[in-house]
Amino acid sequence: MKPEDLDKDPIVDSSLSRPLLISSALLVLSLAWALYDEIYAMRPWKSYQKRFRETYATFLNNLIPNQAEMERRIKASPEYQALDRAMREAEQRVLADVRRIDEEINRKLTPQIMVLNEKFQELRMEIGALTYELEVASSEPEKQRLRERIARVKQREVTVALPEPDGSTRKVRYTFEQMDRDLRQWKDRKAALLQRRVELMAPAEELRRKRDQYLADRIPEVSSTVLAGLRRKLENFPIEIRQIHVRDVDLVDRCESCHLGIREPVVLTKAAMGGEAAFTSHPNRELLRIHDPERFGCTPCHNGNGIALTSVTKAHGYYKHWLWPLYKRENFEAGCQQCHAGEIITEMADTLNQGRELFRLRGCYGCHRYEGFDRDTEELAAVRQEIRQLEQQRAEFERQIQFTIEKGDRAQDNAEAQRLYQHADNLKLRISSINARIEQLDIRSRNLLREVKKIGPSLKEVRMKLRPEWLPVWIKDPHQYRPGTKMPTFRLDDEEVRAIAAFIWQSGVTGQLEKQPLGDPVRGKESFETRGCLGCHSIGEGAEQIGGTFAANLSRVGEKVNYDYLVRWIHDPRKRTLPYCPLERRDLTEEDYRKKGLPFVFDFENSRCPNDGHELVVQQMTPMPSLRLTLEESRDIASYLMTRRREGLTYAPAPYLEDPKLKARGEFLVRFYGCAGCHEIKGLEEEQRVGTELTHEGSKPIDRLDFALLTQKAKKEGWYNHKGFFERKLKDPAIFDLGKEKPDKLERLKMPNFHLTKQEIDALTTFLLGSVESTLPPRYFYNPTGAKRDIVEGWWIVRKYNCMGCHQMMVGQKTVFDTLPRYQEPDWKEQKPPSLIGEGARVNPEWLMKFLANPAMSATDTNRNGVRPYLRARMPTFYFSDGEIQKLVRFFEALSSQAQPYIPPRLETLTERERLMARQLFTSEGAPCLSCHATGDPAHDRRATAPNFLLAKERLKPGWTRRWLLDPAMIMPGTAMPSGLFTRQGDRWIFAGPLPPSFQGYEKDHADLLVRYMFQFTPDELSRLRAAGGSAVRGNAIAMNQRTR
Amino acid sequence: MRTKLSIVLAAGTAILLTGCAKKEEPARTEEAAPAAAPTAAAPVVDPATAATITGKVLFTGTKPVMRPISMDAVPACSRQHPTPPRSEEVVVNDNGTLRNVFVWVKAGLPDTQWPTPSEPVTLDQHTCIYKPRVIGVMTNQPIRILNSDPTNHNIHPLPKINREWNESQPPGGEPKIKSFARQEIMIPVKCNVHPWMRAYIGVVSHPFFSVTGADGTFTIKGLPPGEYTIEAWHERYGTQELKVAVGPKETKTADFTYKG
Repeated sequence: MKPEDLDKDPIVDSSLSRPLLISSALLVLSLAWALYDEIYAMRPWKSYQKRFRETYATFLNNLIPNQAEMERRIKASPEYQALDRAMREAEQRVLADVRRIDEEINRKLTPQIMVLNEKFQELRMEIGALTYELEVASSEPEKQRLRERIARVKQREVTVALPEPDGSTRKVRYTFEQMDRDLRQWKDRKAALLQRRVELMAPAEELRRKRDQYLADRIPEVSSTVLAGLRRKLENFPIEIRQIHVRDVDLVDRCESCHLGIREPVVLTKAAMGGEAAFTSHPNRELLRIHDPERFGCTPCHNGNGIALTSVTKAHGYYKHWLWPLYKRENFEAGCQQCHAGEIITEMADTLNQGRELFRLRGCYGCHRYEGFDRDTEELAAVRQEIRQLEQQRAEFERQIQFTIEKGDRAQDNAEAQRLYQHADNLKLRISSINARIEQLDIRSRNLLREVKKIGPSLKEVRMKLRPEWLPVWIKDPHQYRPGTKMPTFRLDDEEVRAIAAFIWQSGVTGQLEKQPLGDPVRGKESFETRGCLGCHSIGEGAEQIGGTFAANLSRVGEKVNYDYLVRWIHDPRKRTLPYCPLERRDLTEEDYRKKGLPFVFDFENSRCPNDGHELVVQQMTPMPSLRLTLEESRDIASYLMTRRREGLTYAPAPYLEDPKLKARGEFLVRFYGCAGCHEIKGLEEEQRVGTELTHEGSKPIDRLDFALLTQKAKKEGWYNHKGFFERKLKDPAIFDLGKEKPDKLERLKMPNFHLTKQEIDALTTFLLGSVESTLPPRYFYNPTGAKRDIVEGWWIVRKYNCMGCHQMMVGQKTVFDTLPRYQEPDWKEQKPPSLIGEGARVNPEWLMKFLANPAMSATDTNRNGVRPYLRARMPTFYFSDGEIQKLVRFFEALSSQAQPYIPPRLETLTERERLMARQLFTSEGAPCLSCHATGDPAHDRRATAPNFLLAKERLKPGWTRRWLLDPAMIMPGTAMPSGLFTRQGDRWIFAGPLPPSFQGYEKDHADLLVRYMFQFTPDELSRLRAAGGSAVRGNAIAMNQRTR
Repeated sequence: MRTKLSIVLAAGTAILLTGCAKKEEPARTEEAAPAAAPTAAAPVVDPATAATITGKVLFTGTKPVMRPISMDAVPACSRQHPTPPRSEEVVVNDNGTLRNVFVWVKAGLPDTQWPTPSEPVTLDQHTCIYKPRVIGVMTNQPIRILNSDPTNHNIHPLPKINREWNESQPPGGEPKIKSFARQEIMIPVKCNVHPWMRAYIGVVSHPFFSVTGADGTFTIKGLPPGEYTIEAWHERYGTQELKVAVGPKETKTADFTYKG
């Protein structure tokens, strides 16, 4: 071994400095990296916060001077100055007194009380300690000794140096009792002085409030003081994570680490915040107020990953591992659905409401179950179930009664027998409660049978209603014939179309149709456009289209329909050719009735099955109401509609419709495609749904949504999520068959194409995205009870019958009439059906009940409106069930915050003088009441444009009537009833026009007088009114004379 | 931090809420406050170069027969008419011109704020007829509405853009001062009590408009030189347009013709 080698002892010679250097360099680098990440890369919110601080400060700096300038201007105005001066003067007036009070309190009473109180407390504590010892002492001598000690302490005299207002001190000797007495006196004196001070200052304070209110009323947003406060707050703006932690859900939302302006009291727009959308304030403060973020957080409504802060993509949940990505703008109302499921209308969620309504109206629930949508059918099942349970319960109780009585008869002693007999009686009482409940449920189930509607028309009547050659054309592609129709386009080939058409045609019932003479199409057009048909139906194609989208577009109805049937349909849409017995599952014929010796009559009065007494379906299952038109007018409208056809269009004859060989194949296809989900079809009345349930489709695991061969594409293009699936499926329901080899056509996706617009797809996607099985705790859910429940329930009926086609029921809502060209004209504007906002406050619920059941308000004279005969548009008869009427009445009452049940307020009886005064006012030239309001006199009522006063007593509520008289535009902007009929004089309202002399010296409120007059109005009074001969009434007489001449 | 924020939020809300509290303001509607609007120093047209457009509105064809109005139902109205008055929907003057045509400069004016006249335009309800039937005002210019009849009227303008209102005016009632804030051609006015009554108000954002009278002529004065589109409006016969170019101090004639 060479000596050098020995020198090179690896322990001595080999150096670790290089690896050490490298690793320490690496360490330093990773530290730098970590620091960089910590400070910058992983903390993008820091830069957001810095930018927010700057932008917001600039924004406020710009705003404050403007705001201050505006306030300065307001403060310089004479009105403000006057208020300010009045306030100061009031302050001045009491200043001396207030000063004296303050002086006494601050310089004398308070310091003296303080000093004396200190000594007093010392003594009291000493006495307290001795008293405790006394209480726990065991021997009597000990107790006696302590009592004496206490007495001594109480007698001890203490010198107290009381500070005087002039700065000197006054030495006073006190015993405990004296101290107590003085303290009490001084405290009382202080309280009295403070009370006096408040009283003195009250007028000035009131004026100050008025002055500040004057300023606040004139500043659109927040005052410069608040702005300055916000600005100051920014001075100490910490750069930190801002999070909401909701403990009971263990929810952590750090969204506000970047969305810093969300809850600021000023409106921050993207433009105002330097183009940064993240800094805007929440667009709907009302929503934030209802859903306080401190209690609800952000992500329960918006989705996204509330904890993530490392990048915008992560925080918004737009990555593979986050299941609930932030809702996009077009779907953001999906967040409402999970807690507001079960509602058809949710305030402030228009897109979601549209989605729900599409789901309902387009009949999605005909194939797909969705909890809460098929309400009537589901309730019917539930009611029948409950009846069965109650009947079992009753039988059980009856059995028990029997046993109990027998046991009582054999009991050992009288007491035991008595107890058992009593028990038996108690069970009887419980049975009678059950009987009452069953009776109600029975009524309900009969109601429900009436309430169940179908999405599409009954196919049982096709033979009477349709031209045969039209049927296959329609089935092939309904949207070709009628773009936008509810009926979707199925993927059918000609063979299938023929088979389906043949089955439907051959399964149709036959019946007698009255032969109808032709009507006048010109008059018919006028009727069609003004009676209210357009509230639901539309007419005209493309840009020409007018009317509602609730029901069919009738532009080409003349090509398809049989005139005689159309007349019957318009005259009485609910008329059914044959009644259906749900028990026998078939349509009854005249034969069934004849066998029992009964006339072939079926309606709501005769609705029992002659064979088994079961409740029958006696009406068409359509929501279409009756407009109570005469046969003549029905013929006119039908004749007009028959002219609505494309000229020169011919349909190929379809002789195969009668081919019995096609029927079986057709029936199979009809079942397969689920036609009975929307239509009433003979033999398929009780068919089940063919589609998948969608109640929780939004939270279905993504791998259970079948993207099929498009999975890879979807992942690559970033739409492998619920939104992507729903949107594409709705746009083209067959899309996920793309590239698939399916030789058997029946294996293909069978969902038909609804030809939805982009906006409709967005709305439906919103609805489906929100349809999730929620993991939130129950307190998040909106499960209202009482009046709020009534509102939720009511909206379903409002949607079902499309009340909003004609009536405004929600603030901001437009009716179809608001969009019709004719109703833009001055004279037609007032022909719109009335707004129903505030209806519950307006009408007596008892009356409303009767009105809804019979809007003509007459059993015989039905060709008219009961309340507003002057409106061309008819309030139709919907044949509501009692249950629907109850729900609607409760709905209107609840919407207007009315207490239930309604107890009419007692109104002071009119004196004879008051009656005379009111009568004179009604008939004076100065009061226009009777010019417009109907009087029941046909000649006068031809010109009337407002309801009859005779209705007021039963129909209206006095409080509403008074508010209406004072300012009708407040309740119904644009009404024909003018405002300004009364003016304020002191604390009462007086009529604004010339008053009859009898009003001299009348001190009461004139509006009240008229309300009382109207609520004590009688037919006799109406004739007296006529006899009194007012301008309108006299004019009326003249008009009548002229007519008779 | 959060508590501070919520305090500010609460304070802000409180102030907003008090700001929203309704306040009574007797006898002053917001339409009736043109005087309060700042009359900014607007560019006045140089009188030395101001031009004029004038013309007639001619009527050709057969004069439609206007139906008589039956006021029998309201003696307070019919008393004032020995013979039933005729509807003034179409009034053809003796010289073959059309009355009650509203003519205004529809396009071509410089984009500027024109001063609003404080002088009110009067709309009278007399013999249960609006007089005049057609008036023009500038935006925010006061309209003085009188009731010279012994009966109650209500004035109910039915605008599509401006705010709608409907107010009662008793016989001998105070004149109403109203105005409209937005340009609108035309606002129909009706009286619900006397359904035959009808007037039209043209509201223009500048002062260049005119209504034809008994001689069927209109004159629009004080225009800055330029090229203009002028429009004529008639309640039955609709609108017509003309293009007119005027130089400094020039007076151009532009005639409209309506066919009956």
